[in-house]
Amino acid sequence: MKAFTLRLLPFLLILGTGVPVAAGTPTPNPRQPSQPASREAPRWTIGMSQCNLGEPWRVQMNADIKKASEAHPEINVIFKDAQNDNLRQVAHVEEFARAGVDLIIISPKEAAPLTKPVSAAFKKGIPVIVLDRRVLGGDYTCFIGADNRRIGKAAGAWIAKFLGGKGKVVELKGLMTSTPGQDRNSGFREGIKGSGLEIVFEADMKWLEPNARKEMESALARFPVIDLVYAHNDPGAHGAYLAARAAGREKKIAFVGIDALPHEGQMYVKQGVLAASFEYPTGGKEAIDAALSILGGKQVPKEITLSSRVFTRENIGKGGEWLSN
Amino acid sequence: MASVSKHPVTRALLSLALVLAVGAVFNADGAFFQWDTHRDMLRQVSVFGILACGMTMVIIAGGIDLSVGSILGVCAVVFSLFSIHMGLPDLVAIGGTLVLGLLCGVVSGSVIARFRIQPFIATLAMMVFARGLAKLISGGKKISTALELPDGTYQYVDIPPIFDLISARIAGENIAVVSIVMLVSMAFCGLLLSRTPWGRQIFAVGGNEEAARYSGIPVGATKVLAYGLCGLFCAVAGICQAAQELQGDPEAGSTYELSAIAMVVIGGTTLQGGRGSIWLTLLGVLIVGNLEKILSINAVGEETRLMLTGVIILGAVLLQRGE
Repeated sequence: MKAFTLRLLPFLLILGTGVPVAAGTPTPNPRQPSQPASREAPRWTIGMSQCNLGEPWRVQMNADIKKASEAHPEINVIFKDAQNDNLRQVAHVEEFARAGVDLIIISPKEAAPLTKPVSAAFKKGIPVIVLDRRVLGGDYTCFIGADNRRIGKAAGAWIAKFLGGKGKVVELKGLMTSTPGQDRNSGFREGIKGSGLEIVFEADMKWLEPNARKEMESALARFPVIDLVYAHNDPGAHGAYLAARAAGREKKIAFVGIDALPHEGQMYVKQGVLAASFEYPTGGKEAIDAALSILGGKQVPKEITLSSRVFTRENIGKGGEWLSN
Repeated sequence: MASVSKHPVTRALLSLALVLAVGAVFNADGAFFQWDTHRDMLRQVSVFGILACGMTMVIIAGGIDLSVGSILGVCAVVFSLFSIHMGLPDLVAIGGTLVLGLLCGVVSGSVIARFRIQPFIATLAMMVFARGLAKLISGGKKISTALELPDGTYQYVDIPPIFDLISARIAGENIAVVSIVMLVSMAFCGLLLSRTPWGRQIFAVGGNEEAARYSGIPVGATKVLAYGLCGLFCAVAGICQAAQELQGDPEAGSTYELSAIAMVVIGGTTLQGGRGSIWLTLLGVLIVGNLEKILSINAVGEETRLMLTGVIILGAVLLQRGE
């Protein structure tokens, strides 16, 4: 028994301390605030706390930040990935604050648990840019994000027009316990209000392609006529397409998704898989722009709402079309 | 319940009949009575069923393998990389992927056999490591038909024919190729377990390791064999997953290990090791697959689904418990 406990020990330690075993690379945590202003070194250090790099959209966000920052040798961005764990992200923000970075960019996993550390860093005098998801209260410098509800509404209006005001629609929802899922649902319902569209089948696919395919197979089994699938993300729309294709019905159904990452949604539109994909911008570039303004002593608005584009077969060659409202 | 039957296969069949009866009642306007529904169900459980093949052998050998989902993920990525991005011949792409899966399994098995580390911990380490490897190889992005060029733009390539071949249906569109792969994998495991000395050694090691050692059975080698084959099946599952998704997703297979274990246990193979069979696992796969299908065609809400699944897993295992 003793031997067993001993052998179990490393596992318990891993669980207890939350040390990332192989995934993710914890960045060193310098005790001294900032670097001395030497000739070679960048003048400013920015800490970027990402909540989860398990999602392609967030990988893209980090890539956008990296790309934008590389054009500015005066800044150096340190990335940390909280691996979808609130407490780990709290620790990351605290580490940045203790290390005395010049600015923090955070894309929080959830509002409540991260409000306190963000507020503490902000009160310490470190500017904080909150990206995509919010924190509670007003203790941050600038919030940058897109409006899921607005995108959902635009998608609804576009779909109603596309179908000529009537038709049978399947809605494959992200995760209805998450705010993006709720907003992409309620915005969509608002967008199609007053039209003759009928939602014949709806299911949670938890943002995952295999789940979307499974749910779509069920929808196909039940309904001989489906005109369009509205999925809360592009992988979901793609999964639905694969199900329809396997049933030989992909030509009679249109597929619409959200996110429009270059290598995902935009590619599907280009390949003719999706009728449309609505961009959910990462805000990575805008975050670096705002960071440079703040570090340069300029004022930035407290709230920056990103506008997004719709990509369709007609406009994909021209780089999409900006949504109006 | 004990009076129902002493034989585990009968009990598993009873559970399956119960689930089918539920489906007959909640048939979603007759959707449950169409073969298409069951054909799609069989397609959907195939990847899990292939994972459950390897899992069955490992569990009979007295172990557990938590790394199957992650190995599936890394194999899906590597297979897509080989065939979509590098354009390697199909046999090389498949062969290379199978070798990778086998290697992962052999490493887990060797660590367990050589250093006598708990399988739970050794495969937990492999689970985290393989997921990291999948992310490293793919750069965190899905390996799809969009190739990123050095200037940041994308070039689109065609999906290799092998992908369409694996994700196709045969026999007059009546069964998916991946379902056939699952059934062949199960037949292979069934023969190995019941007709070969290696199979008997797996049972012996799982039943009583010390006794097996004293009777001259190569315990370490048997464990390496079980985990190695499990890794090999992960690679098969990874190839099937990538072919069906038309891409290699570094997140593919997350939490699949739990489903695979649940299928094995619901079938009636005990976690203590030494007892069980691949046919029980087939029944377990069908029970879980039908259950998910019934919940899905009836568009049952997520919260109810999770709760019902929990209750039914417990019910099935209670039914399995011979008194």
